Formats: sequence, structure tokens, C-alpha cells
Amino acid sequence: MITEQEVKDLLRTGGYIADEAIATAVFLALRMEKPILIEGPPGVGKTGLAKALSAVLDFPLVRLQCYEGIDEGKALYDWEYGKQLLYTQLLRTQLDNYLSVSADLREAVERLSAEESLFFSRNFLVQRPILRSFLSEKRSLLLIDEIDRSGDEFEALLLECLSDFQVSIPELGVIEARQKPLVILTSNGTRMISDALRRRCLFLYIGYPEFEREVAIVCARYPELCETLARQMVEFLRKVRELNLRKSPSVSETLDWAQVLSILHVSQLTPEVVANTVGAIAKHQADLQQVTELAVHEFG
Amino acid sequence: MERIITRFVMALRERGIRVSPGESLDAVQALALGGVGGRESVRALLRLTLVKNANDMAAFEEVFDRFFSSRPPNVPGLDTTALLGALIHIVEGGQLKADLQEKHEEDGPRLLVDEEVTAEDLPDLLSLAETDDDGAGAEIMVQLDGYRGKMDAPTPADYYLKSPPTVAFNQNPGAKKHLVFTPQELADMQEVVCRMLVRIRKDVQRMKEMESRGKLHVIRTIQKNYRHGMVPFLLSLRRKRKEKPRLVVFCDVSYSVSHATRFMLLLLHTLQNRVMDVRSFVFNKEVVEITDLLRNMPVNCLLETIDKGEIVNLDDNSDYGNVFVSFKKKHLENMRGKPAIIVMGDGRNNYNEANDWALEEIREKAGYMLWLTPEERDIWHRGDCLMELYGSYCDRVEVVRDVDELSRVVEDLFCTLYDHHDTRAWKRRREPKVEEPDDYGTYYTRGRDAKSANHTPGRGRSTDRCPR
Repeated sequence: MITEQEVKDLLRTGGYIADEAIATAVFLALRMEKPILIEGPPGVGKTGLAKALSAVLDFPLVRLQCYEGIDEGKALYDWEYGKQLLYTQLLRTQLDNYLSVSADLREAVERLSAEESLFFSRNFLVQRPILRSFLSEKRSLLLIDEIDRSGDEFEALLLECLSDFQVSIPELGVIEARQKPLVILTSNGTRMISDALRRRCLFLYIGYPEFEREVAIVCARYPELCETLARQMVEFLRKVRELNLRKSPSVSETLDWAQVLSILHVSQLTPEVVANTVGAIAKHQADLQQVTELAVHEFG
Repeated sequence: MERIITRFVMALRERGIRVSPGESLDAVQALALGGVGGRESVRALLRLTLVKNANDMAAFEEVFDRFFSSRPPNVPGLDTTALLGALIHIVEGGQLKADLQEKHEEDGPRLLVDEEVTAEDLPDLLSLAETDDDGAGAEIMVQLDGYRGKMDAPTPADYYLKSPPTVAFNQNPGAKKHLVFTPQELADMQEVVCRMLVRIRKDVQRMKEMESRGKLHVIRTIQKNYRHGMVPFLLSLRRKRKEKPRLVVFCDVSYSVSHATRFMLLLLHTLQNRVMDVRSFVFNKEVVEITDLLRNMPVNCLLETIDKGEIVNLDDNSDYGNVFVSFKKKHLENMRGKPAIIVMGDGRNNYNEANDWALEEIREKAGYMLWLTPEERDIWHRGDCLMELYGSYCDRVEVVRDVDELSRVVEDLFCTLYDHHDTRAWKRRREPKVEEPDDYGTYYTRGRDAKSANHTPGRGRSTDRCPR
């Protein structure tokens, strides 16, 4: 059985630098078979964690992107009307033969309804992400991304799936998961997720990483960057985050910037370098100026 | 171990963190799996299983540190250093003063005066208010928090003798010094707005469901099912034109109503693009559109900018007449649809030209017009106040004196907006339901009308409907 430290090392091989809390959460989720609800600002690696996990654990990733108005037809399952219709059309002669034996209409209807289950069988069921991950042969990783974008109804729909790992289909009955998937839900906190859903999950808050971890993340992703530069970058970005920016740079911005700097073969940060590459960190006109000013103040 | 966890959960609950029995079971299971390796790992395990809300994290850490402290526990809830500090402060008198101030802000009687009032003045002023029944000379109003009947609270009969400052709006004495929101304040308001949004959304959804129920769009259904041999597998329901209600808001940012404006701006900021299409304007003497600013700027920065007078000059006196005329000239033509208009201000025109014809034209174009004023109805015609005149053009004038009332009024308004888009429907709503005639030619429209009539009227407490 896997331990916390192993989880951490595994993730590191996948290029994801996890801290104590993240490793513990993953470890518990694997052992307790409970979903993880990850909250945090955009770009700190919530979705990245799911992707990295799927790669290192070799669980196929099944992703469900939430949006306003998502419903069970898009998330769980749907009936394939077209195919059902096509089959009835094609099987018309067989049906005629089959029904022609019956003496009257009543009997014909009875005979036909006895075969009803044919038309509502798994043949005609379209599996949407959640059902697909439940029925997958191999244990899979189900990523329900940005749950805060969906509505209350969808959350309620998830309750049964997440606590019992089963889907109730009126025509077929309850379908249980073959392999309980590892479920990861992410939320940007634009809307409060209901307590009912929170209770069924382990709650993990990923904030901006500590200094050492962020440096490690940069170094792991762009080994060609020298460590002093990485340290300088991260230190600067931490100060930028303290500014009251409209959009604070997140880990994803750090990585973008690191990439830019490594392409430009920069070895030291100067106000000019920052001014030229500021587009990678700041995403608003007003923010650009503040960041460049800070750079002049820091390195000038 | 179960015992310890249960006690720990109790401590968390006492601190206000909601932990369900299921979650404490999870915690026990997690500890069994993860092992009690060390303080930090136990902390991580418990945090993952017991805390489900980012806001509760800090409280959890605190409880954890206290509960699993290595030192022998003190009397629960008492911190010796804090106690000592408090004692010293009390002896020196500093804390006492601060306490008074705090009490004064929190639950004590509030003195709503424009001048600076210090805690020391409090007893004097209180006695003044109690003895001085007619309140002659003193421009004060005492409001007891939690006193439900504050609508009927006796106001000094003639405290509006001269052109008075607006004292009615619930304003802390020190509020002017820090016009920027504190993070706590922001969080509180965000929470209020979030709750409001949830309620509004639910109402909207219900209305939408009602609208689209049972009306089959025959042609579209047939088109849609062409490939199924016209067998109607996929239904297409008739929907009403998708209307995103439009809202135009004017905020007076002059000093007299600035406190109210702050909340209004924050509300707009949060609502922007979430539920509706809002265009916001601020004015004093000039009127300026701030829709884009609101969308792109943190609300604190925006308030600062406004307070610095960079958007509209704050040294001028407010001039409603001028504002309406220039709005009519510049913006009225570009208004799409029939927006609902909210004006927020006291209607004190500083003896400038009233220009109420402009307001009338704006009203013609608008679907609905609401005026929010912080002043009581009986002083609307005193001094330079043109509330009586302007009010006659509005569908509704509400007196709002604190944030609670404001949020209630706004919430009502949104429910109304989503339901009806023009005043005809608004009026019909107030009329009793008419018996349905047996003419099926008007079936669809009638259904809609009947629904409008059914809808319960708003819950506003201080509805003053002006005769037109």
C-alpha cells in the first residue's frame, strides 16, 4: 500500500511538487476512497494536480468541465434516441413477423412490452464522463473541473455519485461503479459550494506556494534556468503578489515567466528585463505599470 | 483516540466551525490510516477531514494549537498575557476608552451627527436627547440598535430648521476618515450580496420555468425531428425572448449621501455581469459613466478615486437638473430596451434649475424608475430639496436609511425586474386578477398576464408610491 512519502515522490517524478497537505490529501483520498474538493485561486495547480496524478498513477483521466446549465444528460448518461429509432426502423420486418402471430392488438402490445428492455438497454446508453469513469475497466481519475460554475441542481446530482459511487437510471436501475475512481473536484470559489457536497469530500485548500516550493516548481519545470535566477524571480513575484493588483500572478504565471526568461537566456533580473517581459506576469494595463515600477524600485 | 477526536470536534464546534458526525468519523478513519506520525501530519489529516471551508482554516489552526498544546492547558479560553495586557490598559485608562468606542460602534446608541463625536461626549448627548423632547437646537437623532420600531422613533420635530446636513443616514462618527472598506467589511458585504444573489437566482429560475412550461413550438419541434421521421423525440418549447434586465443607476457621490453610495457601488460591482446588464453613473454637478471602471477596478480603488474627486469634482454642489439634462443629451439615445433606472440621492439641488422636464423624458424611455433617498418624506419639500417634484415622476420612491433597508429594496427590485419589464405589467400586478374570458384567440398573452397578476407584490416596508 502506498504511503504519504511515496505519493510525494511519485508526484515529483510527474513534475508536480507537492507539499505536505497535498500529499496527505491524495494519500487519504486513495485509501479512504473519498473525493477531494480543491479550492484556491486560479493558476495554483488544482487541475495540474489531477493531470499529474493521472499520469503517475496510470489512471485514465476522465474530465468533466462544468458550466452553467450542465445537467445529467451532459454529465451522467443520455439515451441515444437516434440509434433507438434506427434500430426499430431496420428491425421493422422482424418486428412485423414477431407481432403478426398475436391474435389481437392487446396481445401484440403485451408481446412488444415484454421486449421493451431491449430498447432501453446499455446498447442505447450514451455514457457521459461520470458514468464512463465508473464503468471503466481500469481505475480512473475523474476530474470535475470548476464545479462552482455549475448550478445547485448539478451539485445535488453529484451527491449520490460521490458518496455511493453509483448512478440511478430509472429504466435500468442502479449502476454501481466497477472501480471506484479517484475523484477530484476543483473550485475557484466564485460561488459557495453547498455544505452537503463539502461533507462528502476531503477539503484541500491550495494557496500560493511557499518560497522554497515555488523555486522547486520552477527548477523542476525549467532545469535550464539557473537556481539563483529562479530564486530572484520567485522573490520578486512574492512582492508583486503583495501589491494590490487586479490579477495577482499565480504559479502558472511564474512558470510562463520562467519560460520567457529561459528562451531569452536571461541570467539576471534588471528593470529592463522586467519591463520587456512584464506581459507574462501582469494581465491588466494598470497592473503592468505597478509591476514595472516595483522592478525599478527593487533592481534599479 | 475517538474520545480525543470527539473532544476536539466539540472544541471546533464551540469556535463556530460546523463539523458533522460523519466528518468526525472520517477523521478517526484518516488517523487510523495515516498513523499519528507527528504533530504536523496529524494537523494536516484533521484539517483535511474536518474543515470544509477556507474561511474556517484560521480558526481551526487556533483551536488545534490550543487543544494540542504541549504546555499544560490554562483555564480554557483565558490567555494570561492578554489578561495582563488588558489589566494594564484598564489601569492606564486606554483600553477603557477603546472599549467605550467599540461599544459605541457596535451596540450602543448611535449618534448620527456630522461633527466629530468622541466617546466622552456620549453620556452628555444621551441625556440631552432624553430630556429635550422637541430637540430644539440640537441636530441629533438617537437610534438604538435592534430597536425594531425605529420607523416610528420620534424624530426631533424641527431639526430641519435650516438647510440641514443629512444626518439620517446610518453613519459612524468616524466614518469619513476611512472611506475605504476594511477587508472585514468587504467580506461581510460580499456575503450579504452572495446570499442575495442565491435568492435572486432561485426566483429567476422559477420564473423562467414558469415561462417555458407547456408551450410547444410546433414548427421548431417538427424541424428538429426531421431525421427521426417527424416522430417528436426532441421537443422544442416556446421561449420568450431572452431578456437580460437592464439597469441604469445614478449615484450621488456628494458628501451628504456618500455612505449609502459606497454600499450601492459595491453591490453594483458584484452584480455587474452576474445577473444583469448594469450601467452605472456617478454624479455631483457633472454626470460620469463608471460602468467600465466598476468592471475592471477593485472597488476599493474606485472608491478612493471617487473620494479624491478624480471622476467628478466633489467640491461642487450637486446639481440634479444639470445631471438629468446632460444625461438626456449624451446617453439617453444609446439606451437599449427599456432599462430600469435607479437614482440614489437626497434630491437637494442647491437651488439650481430643477429641469424636471428632462427627468420626465428619461422616465418616458425607462421601463421603471426608482428613487432612493435617505431623507424622511416630511422634509422633501423643505429648503432646496426637490424630492417632492422629482418623486412625482418616479414609479416608486423609497426611503432607505441603512444598509439593511437598501439591500431589501434592491432585492425586491430585482425580483420585479426579472418578472416584468415594463410598467404596464407592474401596474397590472397591483390590480386584482380578472376572470378569464372564453376567447382562445388571446390564449398565450392572457396566460402571461394572469401570471403577472398572480405575482405577490414586493415586500418593501416603506413603500411610498407617488401619484403621477
